[in-house]
Amino acid sequence: MKIEGEHVFKGPREEVWEMFYDPEILASALPGTQSLKMVNKNEYEGTINLRIGPVSGSFNGNLKITNEKPPESCTLNVDGKGTPGFLKGFGNVHLTDLGDGTTLMKYDGDVAVGGMLASVGQRMMDSVSKIMIKTGFGILDKALEKKHGNK
Amino acid sequence: MAEKYFKQPILRNEDPRLLTGKAKFIDDITLPGMLHAAFLRSDFASAKINSVDVSAARKHPGVVAVYTAADFGDYWKPGPLQVPPPSVIKGSLFNARTLIPIAKDRVRFSGEPLAVVIAESRYIAEDACEDIVVDMEPLPVVTDLEKAIEDGSPLVHDDVPNNLAADVYQERGNYAEAAKYADVVIKRKILIDRCAGAAMENRGLIVDYDDRTHNMTVWATSQAPIPLRNSIAGRLGMFENQVRVITPFIGGGFGPKIMTSQADDVLLPIIAMWLNRPIKWIEDRRENFLATTSERDQIHFAEIALKKDGTILGVKDVFLHDTGAYDPYGMTVPLNTSTHTVSNYEVPAFVTQIKMVFTNKMVVTPVRGAGRPEGVFVMERLLDAAARELKMNPVEIRRKNLLPSNKYPYKSGIIGQDFVEGVLDSGDFAGNLKKALDLVGYDEFVKTEQPKLRAAGKKVGIGVVNFTEGTAVGPYEGAKVTVGGNGKVNTATGISSQGQGHFTIFAQIVAEQLGVDVKDVNVITGDTGHFHWGAGTFASRGATVAGTAVYNAAIKVREKVLKLGAKVLEVPESELELADGLVKVKNKPDKSIPIGQLAVMANPMRGTIEPGVEPGLEAVGYYGPPYGATGNGSMAMIVEVDPVTYAVKIHKCVIVHDCGTVINPLLLEGQVMGGLSMGVGNSFYEQLLYDENGQVMNASFMDYLIPQATDMPEEVILGHNSSPSPLNPLGMKGVGEAGAIPTPSCFVQAVENAFEAENIEIMETPLNPSKLFHYVKDH
Repeated sequence: MKIEGEHVFKGPREEVWEMFYDPEILASALPGTQSLKMVNKNEYEGTINLRIGPVSGSFNGNLKITNEKPPESCTLNVDGKGTPGFLKGFGNVHLTDLGDGTTLMKYDGDVAVGGMLASVGQRMMDSVSKIMIKTGFGILDKALEKKHGNK
Repeated sequence: MAEKYFKQPILRNEDPRLLTGKAKFIDDITLPGMLHAAFLRSDFASAKINSVDVSAARKHPGVVAVYTAADFGDYWKPGPLQVPPPSVIKGSLFNARTLIPIAKDRVRFSGEPLAVVIAESRYIAEDACEDIVVDMEPLPVVTDLEKAIEDGSPLVHDDVPNNLAADVYQERGNYAEAAKYADVVIKRKILIDRCAGAAMENRGLIVDYDDRTHNMTVWATSQAPIPLRNSIAGRLGMFENQVRVITPFIGGGFGPKIMTSQADDVLLPIIAMWLNRPIKWIEDRRENFLATTSERDQIHFAEIALKKDGTILGVKDVFLHDTGAYDPYGMTVPLNTSTHTVSNYEVPAFVTQIKMVFTNKMVVTPVRGAGRPEGVFVMERLLDAAARELKMNPVEIRRKNLLPSNKYPYKSGIIGQDFVEGVLDSGDFAGNLKKALDLVGYDEFVKTEQPKLRAAGKKVGIGVVNFTEGTAVGPYEGAKVTVGGNGKVNTATGISSQGQGHFTIFAQIVAEQLGVDVKDVNVITGDTGHFHWGAGTFASRGATVAGTAVYNAAIKVREKVLKLGAKVLEVPESELELADGLVKVKNKPDKSIPIGQLAVMANPMRGTIEPGVEPGLEAVGYYGPPYGATGNGSMAMIVEVDPVTYAVKIHKCVIVHDCGTVINPLLLEGQVMGGLSMGVGNSFYEQLLYDENGQVMNASFMDYLIPQATDMPEEVILGHNSSPSPLNPLGMKGVGEAGAIPTPSCFVQAVENAFEAENIEIMETPLNPSKLFHYVKDH
């Protein structure tokens, strides 16, 4: 499944970048996250509950950040498995300072899924992932606002 | 004398039971102490197995046992080749890689079993599957047929280079010469994609082993109960008659239930012995979509050489056939494609080359049609391309090249799935075509209606195709007919039934010979305790091959009845007739004896029977044809495409079919209609989709589209021709797959014709609205 899109954050690039390294914010932005902990600087491990159409269940997996060019770009790699199947994918994230205190995030990636998730959940995957991304950005926006407000 | 029961439109004996919920299906069976099995299956399509840890699952409350490949010791081995290799075809290459019952170190398709859990209930067994921890290392996956045979592609089996499962070349005449002298040679790449068998009832197996009698009873949804019994007994070192396989009522077969080496077939019998408790397994729909068998992936590189006037000089077809991860069913499907590509047309030179390819997908075995729709599709597409090129009418080019009726038996020179040279035994292809054109109103439609509708902006098209169906192949079937003391007749045969109506048609054959009512003939199919010789229900052979065996047994019993009747009634046999359950003396209404009473007399308790006389009114009959009987026909179809949604409505569909002597016109209609429904699915709805990682993407009926009543043609007209087969005494031929075979070819031609103005050419099936939209818009 190909993922592609963009989003404008109302905050400076550095602050947006830092959010990727805050497990709490990250966990809140991924709906269904049960636990997420940073095991290395660029690596998280956690459990997430997913419901995609008729398929639901929990996934254990990790998230690695590679190709880091702070605060400009990085690649997020996910690898998880659970009772509903497995997923493995990457997303390239690119942040551009728009010069007005806002940041444009462009992303593109590819996620491969297998098992029940692929065979029965396929029809819902695209729309569910879009909703999850949208919800996630909404939460990140709020977190950024809060962070910004605190300063 | 006109037949009283045979050939008559008699309602089905089995329907009252089926329609009132009194038929017993496998999941209706419950045995005391019965356990339930569930399989943990691989999510990956290709992976190395590092470990399968079942320790937590074994502790799950209610779990009795959990097994992985390692637990089966020497019992674990790849299954047998269910169909022998095609070594009768000279120069053929075939790499047998048979099904592995439970993966040991490697998985090759998504859905392959990794562990089996036996528990007190299916719920517990399924839950415990989630406790199993599998450590697997994903390996590269290959799903694309053309990529699979390239050098450097990932290998499904490490020791099979280029994933080439088989390479079989056959030629009649000399195609290269034909092409040299042709006015035109047309080449096309033609794609056919995969579909599921999708029977209403999935597979199931119940095993009950009695450790005091050392007998095993197996209930199975099998199309091949006798081979299943033989393979179970063989694996366990038992006599065949220590294992009894019973097939209860089965909700559809369509091919995949022919398999006898699936995980459940192999593993559950020995587990039932180990645990000394009955075990039941009922396949769920997702397992059926992932890990039974399916069919039809082929890519053809086909060409046709013609004279300017449309006369065919030769056809060459080199095709890739996807066999999935293993090839336990040999080459039945692609060989059927080879024999059905040019069968009904006169083609002096013909090359057919099969390159069978391993991929990381579910195993391919026959699904209703079994390679035949693919062959017909290729030929009919080539003819349409040729008609366009030569500016000929599509009907004309077909009529010109049809095999004339004086050519039978016509030897094809091409060896088929039954490993004998394909022979067309009978037919009237021109008669079929004419009848189809008349019934669809071809001339009227093309000259008057179509222009009118087109002027009104309607996208309407018509298609007309021809086909054959090689049916009723060997090796043989048998039957036992027994008159009971109650005056009714038992008929047992080895083939099993999945809804075809055997309980009625075999009864009709027997009733006709013995003069009893059809309802008084009790037919038993697929129970090795009652009859245990035969091969199974496949290749549209049940009615013809088993039906002829039933006939052969019935006439032997008739002879015994007449002989004993003559003795008892003290008249010559020629003065007797069998009717109303009686042996009667002609023209003497008061002189008769009930057939049941004769049966009792045929089994005396004192005195002696005469030398050479077998007791009882019972006989066994067999029948094995030298080669298959040729079902054949023509189809015509009128479609309308919605110019906005690209949905296609089939307004009218004509099927003219020739299956020789018709045992029961009602059942024939049912068979053809059912096949048509499958054909409509294969044309526009059903497609089993795999992603590049070998994951099935539509493994449920939410996403896999089975045509519904509203998708069927608004009007279906059946026309019958009958050219009796010379191969069997009743002149029968098979019909089970007929409806499915020509439909995609006819549908695509009609859709192309609907867009005649746009001049689109479609070389694939199945279509769907989105694909069709792109054919038109991207043109």
